[in-house]
Amino acid sequence: MMKLKRFIFITIVILMITAFYSYSQEEFPMVDNLIFDHPQRPAAVFDHDDHNEKAGVEEDCSICHHVYEGKELIKDESSEDSLCSECHSLKTTPENGISLRMAFHNRCKSCHFKSNNGPVLCGECHIK
Amino acid sequence: MHSFINFIMGPMVWISFLIFFIGVIFRLIGLFKQINAKENFVYTYLSFKYSFRSIFAWLIPFLPVSTRKSPVFYSISYVFHLLLFLIPIFLLSHVALLEESMHWSWVTLSDSTADSLTLIVIFSLIFFFIRRFVVPEVKFLTRLSDFLFILIVALPFVTGFLAYHQFFAYRWMVIVHVLSGELMIILIPFTRFFHMFLAPLTRAYTGSEFGNVRHAKDW
Ligand code: HEC
Ligand code: HEC
Ligand code: HEC
Ligand code: HEC
Ligand code: HEM
Repeated sequence: MMKLKRFIFITIVILMITAFYSYSQEEFPMVDNLIFDHPQRPAAVFDHDDHNEKAGVEEDCSICHHVYEGKELIKDESSEDSLCSECHSLKTTPENGISLRMAFHNRCKSCHFKSNNGPVLCGECHIK
Repeated sequence: MHSFINFIMGPMVWISFLIFFIGVIFRLIGLFKQINAKENFVYTYLSFKYSFRSIFAWLIPFLPVSTRKSPVFYSISYVFHLLLFLIPIFLLSHVALLEESMHWSWVTLSDSTADSLTLIVIFSLIFFFIRRFVVPEVKFLTRLSDFLFILIVALPFVTGFLAYHQFFAYRWMVIVHVLSGELMIILIPFTRFFHMFLAPLTRAYTGSEFGNVRHAKDW
């Protein structure tokens, strides 16, 4: 009888720990990667508002959410109501020379290199 | 730190390939100068047909008789050499970086496939390492430099594997990975790795002599 009680107790503890971990992992903000066919890496960590505040870019949304007309960048307009994938297809096409993966990488990494701060290696964004 | 990472993953890659190509050209020029001075009679029987016949014969697994005498070693060696080129050229992370800097891209292995293939390379290298201790006729010919070359080849594969899994010291693992990969590229023309260029030339030379002069197969 004691053994059974202990068994049930331990099982409940394990279940709670597992539930806590899966919950806390989902809480971690990331850039959605479901648009990619078979995501090869864990989704990249990116806490949108917190990041932009720390990086000092919360004023100008168009740094990332830019607007183009053909190949012409439209200054002072922003596209935060669109996903990057609405314009950047998975593979490069004649209309869009920047594949989606590359759009993300070049946008994020070039600024991190320039500001000497922020992650630049695969595993610093795609954290396992 | 960022500018250092930018340098080794940017300009240093091109510097390494430049040294590689210039080194290869100088080594080949030196080689042909030597042939012209000492053995220019080879040109009298050198033939495209027999050269390529020999090169292709030696590329077919287990066609050459000598390879059948040590099937285990030969199989591992064959797979190892294939993967040595296949993995770095078709690795997703390598192609992704190349696409971002040069807009060049081609088909890639999935990360999980590449990861398993990398393990095969690492185990092959362990096999080559142990073989130099346990096979008497190989042990007899082994020098310290043989282990050094195994280490130089192993380093980019082992550090790449450890970095991909993010086991520990991730940033340093990538830095050592990139530097060791570049070291290997730079060393090819100036070390024993140059056999990747000498081997086909040896086959052309031997194949032509056997085909044209002795009218025999050289495999
Ligand atoms: C550092 C780059 C960056 C900056 C600056 C930035 N964002 Fe974003 N934002 C992103 C990324 C990346 C996504 C995810 C897009 C995707 O999944 O395609 C996103 C997503 C969004 C979304 C959700 C889009 C959707 O349809 O689901 C909104 C809303 C948004 N951002 C608003 C803003 C606003 C408002 C600002 C300016 C105050 C801003 N962002 C500044 C990078 C940025
Ligand atoms: C309204 C459509 C549209 C949206 C939305 C969009 N882009 Fe673009 N983007 C373009 C076009 C068009 C180009 C130019 C492509 C070319 O030169 O062939 C471009 C170019 C780029 C470039 C290369 C030029 C540069 O500015 O450095 C990057 C990087 C980029 N986009 C990243 C992103 C990211 C990240 C997002 C999402 C946060 C995004 N884009 C959302 C249309 C869009
Ligand atoms: C305009 C410049 C800029 C762009 C664009 C940018 N970052 Fe950053 N990022 C920074 C700076 C600056 C920091 C360092 C902030 C700090 O910790 O002080 C940073 C830090 C980070 C960090 C570390 C954790 C944190 O939130 O501070 C992550 C993760 C990150 N960036 C992800 C991204 C991703 C993903 C993108 C692309 C969608 C991106 N960044 C685009 C400037 C930028
Ligand atoms: C600054 C952050 C950052 C760095 C550094 C970075 N990535 Fe990404 N990567 C992203 C973001 C953001 C996306 C878009 C969606 C996502 O995966 O969350 C992405 C998408 C991808 C994708 C497509 C989605 C998938 O999982 O198949 C691949 C593949 C990828 N990255 C591989 C790499 C590799 C390889 C490296 C290193 C050479 C790397 N990334 C470095 C931020 C980064
Ligand atoms: C000939 C030399 C090289 C070889 C043999 C090699 C091989 C590898 C291997 C085997 C992996 C890990 C694959 C896996 O287990 O999934 C890897 C990953 C990687 N390599 Fe290389 N590589 C070489 C040179 C380079 C160079 C010069 C660079 C830099 C420009 C580089 C950048 C990377 C990066 C960024 C990763 C991914 C690390 C991660 O996932 O976090 N490699 N490489």
